[in-house]
Amino acid sequence: MNISNDNEFKAALGKLAGVRQRQIAARFAESVLALCTDHRLKTAIDSAKRADVTRDELAAAFQSAKAVSVDSYTQCGHDCNWNNQAVHFVAQAVLAALKPAEPGSSPAWDAAMHARMARTCERIANGDGTDNTEAAAQYRILTEFLKV
Amino acid sequence: MSASLDKGISVLKEMIDAPIASYFSSCVHCGLCAEACLFYTETGDPKYTPIYKLEPLRRVYKQEYTLLGRLGKMLGLFKPVTDEELEEWKPLVYDSCTLCGRCSLVCPVGNDIVYMVRKLREGMAVSGHAPEGLIGASKRAVEIGSPMGVKLPAVKAQMKHVQQDTGIEIPLDVVGAEYMVLMSSMEIINFPEYLGAIARIMKQAGKSWTLCSEAFEATNSGIQIGVSDIAATLVQRIVDGAEKLKVKTVISPECGHAYTALRWEGPNLVGRAYSFEVLHILEVLDGFRNEGLLKTTGFEDELLTFHDPCQLVRRGGVLEQPRTLLKMVAKNYVEMSDPGKMNWCCGGGGGVSAIEEAEALRLTAFKVKKTQLEETGAKTLVTACANCRIVLEEGLEHYKMDIPVVGLTETIAKHLVEGASDEHQQR
Repeated sequence: MNISNDNEFKAALGKLAGVRQRQIAARFAESVLALCTDHRLKTAIDSAKRADVTRDELAAAFQSAKAVSVDSYTQCGHDCNWNNQAVHFVAQAVLAALKPAEPGSSPAWDAAMHARMARTCERIANGDGTDNTEAAAQYRILTEFLKV
Repeated sequence: MSASLDKGISVLKEMIDAPIASYFSSCVHCGLCAEACLFYTETGDPKYTPIYKLEPLRRVYKQEYTLLGRLGKMLGLFKPVTDEELEEWKPLVYDSCTLCGRCSLVCPVGNDIVYMVRKLREGMAVSGHAPEGLIGASKRAVEIGSPMGVKLPAVKAQMKHVQQDTGIEIPLDVVGAEYMVLMSSMEIINFPEYLGAIARIMKQAGKSWTLCSEAFEATNSGIQIGVSDIAATLVQRIVDGAEKLKVKTVISPECGHAYTALRWEGPNLVGRAYSFEVLHILEVLDGFRNEGLLKTTGFEDELLTFHDPCQLVRRGGVLEQPRTLLKMVAKNYVEMSDPGKMNWCCGGGGGVSAIEEAEALRLTAFKVKKTQLEETGAKTLVTACANCRIVLEEGLEHYKMDIPVVGLTETIAKHLVEGASDEHQQR
């Protein structure tokens, strides 16, 4: 199945169980990881992708990503640096992947949305408008993921 | 005397009105305001006593408007306020005052110390002694329309993002909509979930609403830096947008000072009454709840507590609404010590979070919030101000406290009965 729109994307994500949700969420975050040089996020994504990761490792990864997320907030009244803001949303995508699942939540969808925001921030920073192809990239990532 | 100092002193003289004169005359030097200020309580440094922060203004008052002061000035007994002194006072007037109003509330003779600080900031700004961070924010607010440099394309990108996320179209520039929704730049940049929550709540309530391309920003840097002309310009932009779209109500977002600036000070700043009503988002949500238009299901599992944004609760009067709303989605709720109108500031209000050089002091002052939170044992912290939210997150991260901070509007939206109809339970 080739996923080509958000309806199909959301429906396919909704069928994934907890661990697979986390793993695909981590892949969405990984897709925008190049926007961030902070090694803590790469380490956290690597943890989130592993099927055999322990609860303690996930908690540690969450704390690392949370620290990056807080560090990269644009504070009230500061001139927004959209590149830094992209980092914030990469961190948010990682956090979505690592967050303990709640009933009704969709970590993979949340991670996807944060990753799209990260890409939008990059485009604004580069003065390239706001349109981007991150959604299409996510469709491809999910399509490949579902083949495994 | 430099030209800018000359202007600053002139402004300070103009600022000394009857209330200021009576406040200085009636101060009994009791020190209660010190105990109410987090910058004093958390540092123990007497220079952070609120009334002491006003010393330059007091000296101008004394030398210009009291008999003894005038005589002393004529005889050379009192020295005029200098540029060096104002520069020395800058950290006291800006970095260590969030305009939270706790000092005003405890003053036994009723001195509104925040009012006085605001007046002093007017003179400080004109004399060239405002912090660079606030100068930049004010400039961007006037020239770009956002203190954080957010332009309309970024707003539209967030609208598109929220539409993708929620499947709900975000209306822009709809003439005749009932509500015009404002956002803070913080929400546009950091918290897209706020707009998503609004979209879902408005859909459930069946209300018409719109964003305004010419007035999407709610915050008011003019209030924070202390330049009334800028404050008036920013309010006027919203008034023009609301009147152009002929909306009935303008909704101030989860931001503290934006609400007081627009609702309580705005008409005086622009010199006339509005043709529309201004409500804070929590007032709107509580109104929906009263009308049976806000339907939720389920409860938060964790123990919650609520941080009252100072400008909402102390200077804005929005006290009961957040608690009523929280009860809809939280059975497990605990108040902090000194809740409601006596709540302690997060430490970042009044423009402090825009002042980089104030960061270390702000984190020191955060100890009071840390203590409050530790006493509650709360697992989640809810608030209703985007600035508070980030300041709280930074403080919690700094002190290694693992407590998530969430906005109240999005917390309510999380529990919405989507596609609600009459058969669903209404609380």
